[in-house]
Amino acid sequence: MGWLRLLGKEYLLNWLIKALGSSIGRKFVMGLTGLLLIGFVIVHLAGNLLLYVGIEDYNNYAHALHSKPGLVLVAEIGLLALFLAHILIAVGITRENRAARPEGYQMRRSKQNRTAATPSALMFVSGAILLGFILLHLADFRFHLRNPGPDGEEPFAKALRLLQDPVSAGVYFVGSLFLGWHLVHGFQSVFQTLGWNHPKYTPLIKKAGVALAVVLALGFASFPVWAMLKKYGVQL
Amino acid sequence: MEKKLNLTLKIWRQKGPQAQGRLVTYPVQGVSTDASFLEMLDVLNEELLKKGEEPVAFDHDCREGICGMCSLMINGQTHGPDRETTTCQLHMRRFKDGDTIVIEPWRAKSFPILKDLVVDRTAFDRVIAAGGYASVNVGNAQDANCILVGKESADRAMDAAACIGCGACVASCKNASAMLFVAAKVTHFAELPQGQPERYKRAQAMVAQMDAEGFGGCTNTYECEAACPAGIQVTTIAKLNREYLKSSFAYAEESKSSEGEG
Ligand code: FES
Repeated sequence: MGWLRLLGKEYLLNWLIKALGSSIGRKFVMGLTGLLLIGFVIVHLAGNLLLYVGIEDYNNYAHALHSKPGLVLVAEIGLLALFLAHILIAVGITRENRAARPEGYQMRRSKQNRTAATPSALMFVSGAILLGFILLHLADFRFHLRNPGPDGEEPFAKALRLLQDPVSAGVYFVGSLFLGWHLVHGFQSVFQTLGWNHPKYTPLIKKAGVALAVVLALGFASFPVWAMLKKYGVQL
Repeated sequence: MEKKLNLTLKIWRQKGPQAQGRLVTYPVQGVSTDASFLEMLDVLNEELLKKGEEPVAFDHDCREGICGMCSLMINGQTHGPDRETTTCQLHMRRFKDGDTIVIEPWRAKSFPILKDLVVDRTAFDRVIAAGGYASVNVGNAQDANCILVGKESADRAMDAAACIGCGACVASCKNASAMLFVAAKVTHFAELPQGQPERYKRAQAMVAQMDAEGFGGCTNTYECEAACPAGIQVTTIAKLNREYLKSSFAYAEESKSSEGEG
């Protein structure tokens, strides 16, 4: 972060760097990037659902999206920045949090019936699994590193073909469920971190977060299932 | 009605800050269900003294739930199984004959173990000190009601002021975070007119000191709220986040030259 500090001195933004470097400041960035990424996956799911509407609709949507390469590039860079910020801060925070208790307890019992699988206890693990899923997904769809298709393949055909790869299908299915698990805690957590905890809204935010997590998890998990059913000739 | 319990205690014994500690098993007989948890430990220590052994060191002072000196992780829970109860207010009737009770000190890098069950919680004092002073008028005492405070603000300030600084929030948090403690202290002053002059400076300074002490960060798991013997709520943490955000953008730091020790 040396160059950042330099930048700060130069532009007298010391206070901003101090704020964003603090434990609370980094949580703000964590929450905000998380919220923006949620926005992205919602749009992503909406686009994917066109697979179920019709071959033409999906192809038209995909072509329309890629007809503006400049826009796609900007979006990709933006997404990469969001992901990187979210992940790097997560790694940093997790390391610090582990270091804050070098020697653990011999016996530990929660006073709120939490278990090791409670979403909030699993954020780093579910996030790491998600990252694996996303990397495979990028390798498949963005960089064509696995199962490259024929030239001029239509988007619908490409999606179906890639989703019928057993490894991809399995990882996508599990990854989608972990996305939901991540968001059960993540969504409502953003509001607390940004200081918005209010008796009128917080119960609603918590319910909305769970609903959103379920919709996104089941939505994304449905695609590999759909592709596999099609592969084995089940009439849909 | 009073009953007698026979218990097996597994207590963390550690000779000093650098020494290697371990759980040592002590059977205790005939513990009254009317005894408090600390009285039970007193009885054990009497016996250890009679046998010429080193008594178990543990922190305590008021024994009525107001000073925050007692601590203890009891069977993996801060201050034992009850909600909103300090260890000194926990009674042996909460246990059954034949129970095994594991007793450990608070564990956090910022709360180093001094001996046995006693940890050094002066990190909290340094956070408080970093918060600095609150400006008050000198001279004759004011009329009691001349500063108006809204009922809701007063309630929130008083709820936050209930914090006794015992450190259960840190001890129970999976990240050993002190956010609930700092949030209680910041909220306490931010809600009252008397706390306004140094409001933003205080939030900045206390968070900076909290970070410097090596406490972990908050991941909104809310174990602290369940562990807190004073019933401090995590809404104060949201309040602290707000105060920190506002102060980061709104508070104009004094220039270096005018910075003096207050
Ligand atoms: S000894 Fe004072 S609160 Fe327990």
